[in-house]
Order: sequence, then structure tokens, then C-alpha cells
Amino acid sequence: MGFIMDGLDAEDYDRQYGDKVLVQRIITYFRQEFSRMLFVALAIFLTALVSTGLPIYISASIDRIRDDTNTGTLMVVLSIVVLLGMLSWGFNAIRRWAGATAVGNVVLKLREDAFDAVMARDLSFYDTYPSGKVVSRVTSDTQAFAEVVNLTMELLSQGLLVILLIGYLFTVDVPMTLITLALAPFIVATALAFRKIARYSVTQSRRILAVVSSHIQESVSGISVAKTFRQEQAIYDEFLDVNRRSYRINLRTGYVFSSIFPILNLLSGVGTAALVYFGGLRAQEGYLSPGDWYLFLQGIALFWFPLTSIASFWSQFQLGLAAGERVFALIDADPNVIQTDNQPLPSLRGEIRFEDVDFHYKEGEPVLRRFALTIHPGETVALVGHTGSGKSSITKLIARFYEFQGGRILIDGQDVRSFELSAYRHHLGFVTQSPFLFDGTVRENIRYGRTEATDEEVEAVARMVGHGDWIAGLPNGLDTEVGERGSSLSMGQRQLVALARVLLQDPSIFILDEATASIDPLTETLIQEGLDVVLKSRTSIVIAHRLSTIKNADRIIVLSKGEIIEQGSHATLLASGGHYADLYNTYFRHQSLEYIEQLATAS
Amino acid sequence: MSHKSEFSVAGTYPYNHKNAIRWVISHLMRYKFFLVATATLFTVAYAAYAQSAVLIGRAAEEILTPSSGTEGALVTIALLVLLVLVTDGVASLFASLSVETLAQRMEVDARHELYISLLGKSQTFHDRQRVGDIMARATDDVKQLNFMVNPGILFMFDLVLGFAVPMVYIALIDLRLLAVPILLVVLYFITASDYSRRLNPVVNRLRTQFGTMNARLEETISGIEVVKASTTESFERQKFRDNARGFRDYFVQQGRIEAGYLPILIYGIAYGLIFLHGIFLYRADEILLGEVIAVIGLFSVMRFPTILSLFALTLIQNGLAGADRILTIIKTETELDENREGISRTIEGDIVFENVDFAYNGTNVLGDINVHIRPGQTVAIIGQTGAGKSTLTRLVNRTYDVSGGRILVDGVDVREWNLATLRSQISSIEQDIFLFSRTIAENIAFGAPGATQEQIEEAARAAQAHDFILSFQEGYQTKIGERGVTLSGGQRQRLALARAFLSNPRVLILDDSTSAIDSATEGEIQRALRRMQEGRTVLMITHRLSQIRWADVIIVLDQGRIVASGAHEDLLRSSPHYRRIFARFDVELPPLEAEEPAA
Repeated sequence: MGFIMDGLDAEDYDRQYGDKVLVQRIITYFRQEFSRMLFVALAIFLTALVSTGLPIYISASIDRIRDDTNTGTLMVVLSIVVLLGMLSWGFNAIRRWAGATAVGNVVLKLREDAFDAVMARDLSFYDTYPSGKVVSRVTSDTQAFAEVVNLTMELLSQGLLVILLIGYLFTVDVPMTLITLALAPFIVATALAFRKIARYSVTQSRRILAVVSSHIQESVSGISVAKTFRQEQAIYDEFLDVNRRSYRINLRTGYVFSSIFPILNLLSGVGTAALVYFGGLRAQEGYLSPGDWYLFLQGIALFWFPLTSIASFWSQFQLGLAAGERVFALIDADPNVIQTDNQPLPSLRGEIRFEDVDFHYKEGEPVLRRFALTIHPGETVALVGHTGSGKSSITKLIARFYEFQGGRILIDGQDVRSFELSAYRHHLGFVTQSPFLFDGTVRENIRYGRTEATDEEVEAVARMVGHGDWIAGLPNGLDTEVGERGSSLSMGQRQLVALARVLLQDPSIFILDEATASIDPLTETLIQEGLDVVLKSRTSIVIAHRLSTIKNADRIIVLSKGEIIEQGSHATLLASGGHYADLYNTYFRHQSLEYIEQLATAS
Repeated sequence: MSHKSEFSVAGTYPYNHKNAIRWVISHLMRYKFFLVATATLFTVAYAAYAQSAVLIGRAAEEILTPSSGTEGALVTIALLVLLVLVTDGVASLFASLSVETLAQRMEVDARHELYISLLGKSQTFHDRQRVGDIMARATDDVKQLNFMVNPGILFMFDLVLGFAVPMVYIALIDLRLLAVPILLVVLYFITASDYSRRLNPVVNRLRTQFGTMNARLEETISGIEVVKASTTESFERQKFRDNARGFRDYFVQQGRIEAGYLPILIYGIAYGLIFLHGIFLYRADEILLGEVIAVIGLFSVMRFPTILSLFALTLIQNGLAGADRILTIIKTETELDENREGISRTIEGDIVFENVDFAYNGTNVLGDINVHIRPGQTVAIIGQTGAGKSTLTRLVNRTYDVSGGRILVDGVDVREWNLATLRSQISSIEQDIFLFSRTIAENIAFGAPGATQEQIEEAARAAQAHDFILSFQEGYQTKIGERGVTLSGGQRQRLALARAFLSNPRVLILDDSTSAIDSATEGEIQRALRRMQEGRTVLMITHRLSQIRWADVIIVLDQGRIVASGAHEDLLRSSPHYRRIFARFDVELPPLEAEEPAA
């Protein structure tokens, strides 16, 4: 039922569109379907005309047939009744078909535009807005908006029907029409009162559904704990309570919804009885023909149904418009990363230079201030520092995932903003902390780094990582399905796939945000061996969490609050006993063999 | 029910599990009163409504042939119309409430039944099921059952009564006038079933396509870093466009099929025909003009079911499909039972794997496992993902049963132990540590509901959790989870250890994959683990080299087989696999003595 609407979460990029702007936007999308929509509107109008016309015609014929016994007249009446029935079907068919085509096309166009807009955004957008909500804007809100088309037609046709009917009824008999109309305030008032109650109880039902869901989710997820401790009974008792509450609340909501139509029916029953009596009297007195009297009795049903449906469609209509606004806001928001030029780059040496770079995610909370750093081609640089020191911001600026506010970033001496973005990113290899895999096979995921690579090339790089020992651990080798987001693979295996993917891409600059998650020691060894291959002979920047990685780096850069406070090799920095030595004792010492050896207390 | 089950509730209502339809019927039959009340009230409502058409016909007759008594007759008729319409309204109101009650009961009862059965299922079952899937059954599918009753069954009533009642009244006026309604009903059933046969597959495809489009987009957006870094935006765009276009095509196809809904056309023609038929009989002086009006009024009642019944069919189909999905879970046999008569005594902690084989879904996971673990020993199991480490430990507390060979605990086959006794003395801490959305104190006391605050704190201290718990504002009363604090992996692990401490198990199985980000946390976890190992047999899957290094026995698994076992020093000499781990540290390793046998 469309009686209900609930508050939908607003996002920062949402904007309030003026009615005029909104209407213009809507018209833009409907323009391509203009002729079809006109056709649909016409069909709806005619449907309304026919459905109103049929009872009018029948009641008129009753009078005619009573007076005129000619078979020809009867046949004409009959043909017209049948014809009206067929037309009603025909117009309805046109409206459905053309309507579906129009709505389908508009939704398609909106979705494509929304998708393109989403893809054009930089990563700050994705950081801020959960993927589920963005998805629902692209898929569900577009659909909800397109329903506005249908609803507009529906509202128009129902409204037209009511107006036509009232207009006609007035020409037939004024007092009877007034009796019919007297019912309208009651119907509207009942519908409105009902909406209020319904909204309240629906909110309650939603809440209890959330409670039920979270209870079941928790008990199913925690079933092994419950089993281990034999606590099934306790969980069951809680469930009983939740389930009972849910029953009570839902029953109330159900009662509210079940009673609305019978109650409205009761109202119209009173109206019908009044019309039978007063109409009968007027007919008897000769003011009204029996046919017209019958028309009013039919008319009341035709009258109250559109009224209630207008009341119910209205909020749906508003919901649709709100959905449209959300989609437009998504499409209209400006992408932040802007390239100033389109320079192609056939190859890169891999020199990176930060010159006085200022950067912040949020106004007033600077992450980097006049940051300067030069990384030489082929160098392996390890970034270390506490959370929030700016390590990952540096790598993400290199990848051009975010826009920086001041200074320059030069790659091989050229401004990073001047490159053709996708050509530039081709030369970058990026492995994130928890590597993302797409649903598909391991082979497909590796090939994602260079879609035109042959099977041989894919297999070759897979074997280069950890001597290929990890492939045997996959149930179907490279053709193993990785599952949704790689869920069938372990974290370690996902890292290995991501490394192979980067190797296939063969980038000039390699960026690694090392995983903090622990990995079984055998796989860990394979990853370290794989990294040795990837890091060799290309510029690499590693946000390091592993002792072995920092030890192998050419240069360690110690960051604090967006500034470089120390740099050098592991041995020299450790010996100098400065910030690095502190960091080492906090984050890396427990990974050292000395630490392991000193724990000789287990047995 | 003779089902094996790990959990049961006494005095549950016996539903019929034979098939979905019988199951639904047995649920409905539980509330016979509401069922009968609904049917009766609806019949009354329809009869009253049809009666009003007859009364209006009679009123028309009074108007057409006025007499001195007409005014009085009109008053009577108007009052009668009011009476029958109020009867109609009241009866359908109570009928609606009655069917709503049935619908809501259906939903909660089905969920209740499903829930009990879920609690009774083995871990094997739960491992196979995705949580999301079960959630869908416990919320969406039971909702479908609800909708199937109201308005699904309600619409079915509408279909039957909306056709039958007017026909009875028409027959009372003149039997011959039934010709057209009968024709309508026959043609309706033919065309409507043809329609739903054509529509259903398209609707399903549309829904699937929407799911695909959504899932695909969700994936693209979640993996946007990879997409951008690999510059595969155009590839992703093409995929999305294909999906969106596919959706559009099915959507239009659905509209086209809906456009061809013939019953409306048939009704339109039949309307003319019955009008003609009535007039003919009127001309032949067989019936009165008022009766013609009544017949047309009655025939109008039949328009409603011709439009509505399609929803009814869809709702009932959806409901039955939901019933089927729920029933599938209820009927799934569980492999284990409670074994209440089994051996029940304190466990020493001596564990023997004797020629153990284990296959899961037809694939061999473990083969030829022979190990003897003595009471109080700590065993570290290492191997790549998929080597069978977790499975090996899960055979001990009968999360799974072996396919071949046997496992002895204190010399007794695990299958001969009372399940509750066995499990309550074997605690296992899983890789994904699960904590309930309750307070910290309640979580620690989960396995020992009667524990005092002192006992809880003592356990927390042993697990090195006390200090960080106190660092929260509400201490032990801090809520965990969505509406409470978020804990780090190390904190979760220490809470799980505290929970295990309190239940004081004889055997501890620990799947320890928690990473310690800093050395201080690592130190605390190490201390907690050491306390846990005191006086207990511990089977540990761990990523911590320090734990592996100092375990009494290290078992190296490769593709379901033990390829090496022994203490650290032995393995450095005998296993190249094991050596490779330590080879990355700049240390002198003892010389490799013998080739590891090929797996």
C-alpha cells in the first residue's frame, strides 16, 4: 500500500531542488519518450472516458429500451456496450505496453547516467557513502522515480474520472449529485485518519522486524558458541519472547490495514441506501428517470474508488519525486579529481616528486602540509608511522584517488594533473590491505590487471609469486571460484592473487598497503617471496606492517602528523635510537626472532 | 518426529511435513475457528452485497410501476439496502480481522518452527548454510506465508465467492441467465491460466536480472579502488549497461504480456451479452425490468474477481515457494544427536586420532591421520588454507563425525560420549570470534549463566582482559556490537578466552588468527594463552610463530595429510616446509637431515 512513507536517510551531496528545476529535470528525461507518453496519456484519458461512459450509457439505455421495442435499437445498444468493453480493454492494453516501454527506457537512461556519475567520482566519495546506499540510488531509486510516470498518469486518470462524473451528474440531477458529494468529506477524512494510524503502526512493525532479524542473525551466527556451551535453551527463550512481541505488534498493524476497506465500504453503503430512497422518491415524482436513478447508484461506486486511490497514490507520488531528487543529486554532484590536460604516457621511469603538497580530506583538518619527498626510479620506500600520520594519503595522492589542494606532484618531472588519467593509472600497480577480488575464478581475477593477457601469461605470473606453491593449495588451481568478494579464499590467498594481478599489469610504480591481518606462516612465507619479485626493479612505495618488509626497503621514511621526521635504512635508524626505534619497539619487535626465542616458557 | 536433533522443545504442535501444501494446511488447521469464521463471514458479506443488487432491482421495479404504496415500499427497501450493506461491511470487517489473525499466526508459527529446527541442526549444517540465506527464510519467506493467507487466501475467497454468489442470485431470478456468467467463468479460467503461465517466467527473470544488476554494481562499487587502479572503468560500465538493458527488456516484455490480459476483454463482451440476454427475457415478458437491473448489478460484482484473482495466484505461488524453502530446512536430517545415554565423566585430555579419514560433500579433506596427544600437551597445527587444519580440530568435539577410523578421548570413542558432556568440557575458540550483542559481563558468563561478578572478573584477569574492560566507561556493563563499542581483534580474542576460562574446559581448541598490531597487545595475548595452557590439552591453529616455536608438538598438514610432526628443533632438521618459514630470518638453521616424503 502506498499510504506509508518513512524518513529516508539524507546524504551530504543531497540538494533541495526547486519545483521548477525538478520539473525541468524530469521533463529532460521524459523528452525522449515524449510521443510514447502522449500516447499513454491519451489511452488513459480514453480508458477513463469509457469506464465512466459505460454505466451512463447503460442507464440511459434502460430508459430507451423500455420505451422503444425496436430490435434494431436493442442491437445498436448492445453493439455499443460491447464496443465500449472492447475499447476499455484496448486502451488499457495500449497504456500498459507503451507505458512499460516508456518507463523502461527512462529507467535505463537514468541508471546509465547515475552509473557514469558514480564512476566519475573520486575515492573520497566512496569513503563517505556506504556502497549499499549508492547502489540503491542507482538501482532502486531510479525505479521508484520512474513509477512517478505511472502514478502521474494514474492520478490524472482518476482525477479526470471523478471530475467528468461529477460534471455529468450535475447535468442530470443537482440534488442527487449533492447527496453523492456529501459522502466525499467522510471518505477523505477516514482515509486521512487511517493514514496517520497506519504510519504509526507500520513504524512499530518495522522496528520489531529489525529486532527479530537481528535476533535470528545473531543466534545463527553464534550457533557454534551456543552449541559449545550448550546454551540453546537460553537463546530459544529469548527468541520466544521476541517472536511473541512481533506477533502482537504485527497483528495490530494487520488489523489497521484490514479494516480500512470494510469501513470505507460501510460508508458507501450508507450513501447507497440514501440514494435508493431519495432517488426513488424523486423518480416517482417525475424529476428523475429510472435510468438516471440507476446511474447514481452505479456512480457512487465509481466515485469513491478513485477518491481513495488518489489519497493512497499521493504519498507514493511524493516518494517517487523524492527518489528522483536523490538520483539527480547523485548525478549532479561534481567529481573532485580534475585533470588539466590529456597527455598520453607510453612509459614511465617511475620518479615521484612531492613539491609543497597540501592535502586534507576535511576542511580545517590538514593531513599533509607543504609536504616534500622525492622517490627515485626503482627505489623501494617503506612508509612507517602511527595511524593518521599520512602514510596512506601519500600513496592515494600518487594514485590520483583524491585531489590535493596545494603544491605539485611530479611524475618523471611532469605534473600528475596533466596526464590522461587512465593511461597514467595503467602504469600504477596498487595492492590494498584487504585485496578485493571479483566474483569469478582466480584466473579471471589475475587477468583483471591486463584484460587482453593470454592464459600462458596469467599462468606465468601466478608461478612467479611464491614459486607457484600456492596454486596447489587451491581446490581447482587457477580455475577455483573465489566467491563473492573472494570469500572462498583465505586472506593470504587473496594477497597472492592480488600480487599476481599486479605482476601481470607490470606497472612502473608499485604501491602496497601491507595487510595487518595475520596469515598462516606458510602462506606468509609465499607472500614475502612473491613480494621480492614484485618489488624488484620498479619504484615501490610500501605502507609497511611487516618487519621483513621494512628490513628489505632501500629507505624507510618515518612519518608523523604529515611530516617526515626521520629517514634512512633499518640498521642506521635503529642504531640512532630516535623515533624509528620507538616505532620498532611498538609495532615490529614482536615479529623478530629474538622476541620469539625469548618466549621459551610455553612448556 | 523421529528426527535426530541436537536440541528439542517439549510439547510443540505436530505439523505435517510431507510437502509444502500439506504443511501450510496443517498450519491453518491449527486455527480451525478462524478458518471457519473467515469462510462464514465472507459468505455472509458476499450474500449481503449481492442481495443489495437484488433489492435495488426491486426498488427499480417500484419506480417503474408506481402505485400508492410505492413510497412506503421505497422506505422499506432503502432500509433493507442499508441493513444488508451494513451487514456486508461488518461481516467483511470481521472476516478481514479473522483472516489477518490467521496470517499473522502463520508467520510467527512458521518462524518458531524454523527456529527450533535451526537450533537442533548440527554444525555441519550451519557451516553449509549462509547466514543471509537463513535470515531470508526466517524473515522474507515467513512474510510470504503471511501474504499468502492475507490477502492471498482472501483473494481466493473473492474469486470463488465473487463468481459463485452472484451466480446463485442470478439463478434465483432466472436459471437461463446463468448462460453468460458460466461462459465467462470458463473463458476466464482458460485465459487467466494461460496468462499466468506466460507471465511467471518473465517476472522471475526480471527479478533475477534485478538481483544480478544489483549484486554486480555492489561489487563494482566495493572494489572501486581496484577498478580505478586497473583502469577497467569502461569494462565495468559495459557490464552494468548490459545488465541494465537486460532489465529494461524484461520489464517491457512484462508490460507487453500484461497488456494482453484477456479476461478484461472477455468481461466487457460478456457484460454486453448478459445485458442482451436480460432484455430479451424482459421483452418476452419472462422477467421484469427491475430484475434486468438486478442482474446487471450482480454481474458487476463479477468484475472484481476477474481482475484480482491473478494477484491471488501469484501470492499463493510465492507463499508455497516460501513454505518449500522453510520446509527444506526443517526436513534436513541432522547427522548427530544428543546421545543422552552416552558416557558422562570428567575428561583427562588424552586424545588419539586412529587412522582418521574425513570426507566432506564427497571430497576427501583428511586422510590417514594418526596422532596421540597426551593430557596437558600443547599441539600447534600448521598448514596452508585448505590443508584441513580446522576440520582436524572440529572432529574432536564432534562438530563433524569422522568418515573412517576413530577418535578416542581418554580411550573412549567420541561417539560414545554424551554429547553435552563432551562439548561442555571441550571449549573451542573459533577464528571469527563471535560475541553476542550484550554486555561484556554477559558475554563472559555465556557458558556459565550463574557466574558471580568475582568469577567473571577473575576469568577476565586470567585472559588479560580486565584492564581494557575497565578502560571502557561502563566497564563490565559495556554493550558490545552494533549499538555498543567496537572491539579490536585482540580484545575480542581475550574476551573469548575469558569466556572459555569461566567454563573451565579440559580441552581447548583454539583457532588463533588474530593479528596483534603492536608488541604490547602481542605480549598480553601471549600471557593469556600461557595461562590457558596450564593443566589443559590445547589444540591450536595459530599464525603466531612464537606459539608454534614453543609448542610440545607441531603438526604440519598439507592437503589433508600429516607431512611432518614433532618439536621445533626436529622439524627444522626434517621438514623443508617448516624450514622455509624460518629461512627468512637471518639465523643459522641446523642442517636438513632427510628428504620430506612426498605427499
